[in-house]
Amino acid sequence: MEMEIEEIRGTFKPELIPKETGGDIEDYEEALHVLMKFVGSMSSALEQVSGRGANAIVYQAGKRMGHEAGKMMDKTDNLEIALEELGEILGIEFYFEMWKPTGQEDYTIEKGDETIVKLLFMDCVVRQTLRRTGLPQKGPLCYLLYGYMVGAVEEVMSIKGKLDIDHVGPNACLKTLTIKWGGK
Amino acid sequence: MVEITIDEDACVGCGSCVEDCPNDVYEMNEDKGKTKVVKVEDCMACLSCHEICPAQAMEHQDIHVAKRLYIDRKVNDVLNRII
Repeated sequence: MEMEIEEIRGTFKPELIPKETGGDIEDYEEALHVLMKFVGSMSSALEQVSGRGANAIVYQAGKRMGHEAGKMMDKTDNLEIALEELGEILGIEFYFEMWKPTGQEDYTIEKGDETIVKLLFMDCVVRQTLRRTGLPQKGPLCYLLYGYMVGAVEEVMSIKGKLDIDHVGPNACLKTLTIKWGGK
Repeated sequence: MVEITIDEDACVGCGSCVEDCPNDVYEMNEDKGKTKVVKVEDCMACLSCHEICPAQAMEHQDIHVAKRLYIDRKVNDVLNRII
């Protein structure tokens, strides 16, 4: 198939980005697919070279991103407010809600000095990337979101947290967020 | 509220959905040798059952349908014209 590439010609000043360079929806779509392929192949190569260490590397990258994002949010020790703020940080591309089975009264479970809450991630760019590139879920790339959540929670609430993947599906993934009270 | 419909004519009774569902939404109807929905209220619409069902015998209604930006719009447009 012959592809037509439209050349953009114009004046470029360092302080001004011409609006023509913004591209239209098809350019964004192309870019998204290329990025998904890049990220997918990077993740699979990382796993091939580093084995299970790949998860730790990606987790660390996500955690750093989470800490950076969390710095922009108000500090709180209220888990529900923290989760609302996290929802804003993660945006519509990582849309999640608290989830509980019917037999459970509250969304949160207190267990010693820990609070446990189940989160249902409905929209997820990581999942889309994995499916775009034919990679299995629960791999290193899922650890990016894992790290991101933990980093953001730690930053917003100044406590230790962890996120476990309970179940992954093509439409939603269930994760358990555990926060440990008592500081870092 | 999620609603799940099982197409009993299509269901082959393999029980894959029963095994795969993390919230035990399905059970086998031993008399009919087909799957039945027993705990629809615990369905979180992960749709693992859709993926594993060899007969595509189930349908979920009133669920959050996740974005699928990996699907090529051009391919979708062509499919929409055909189907």
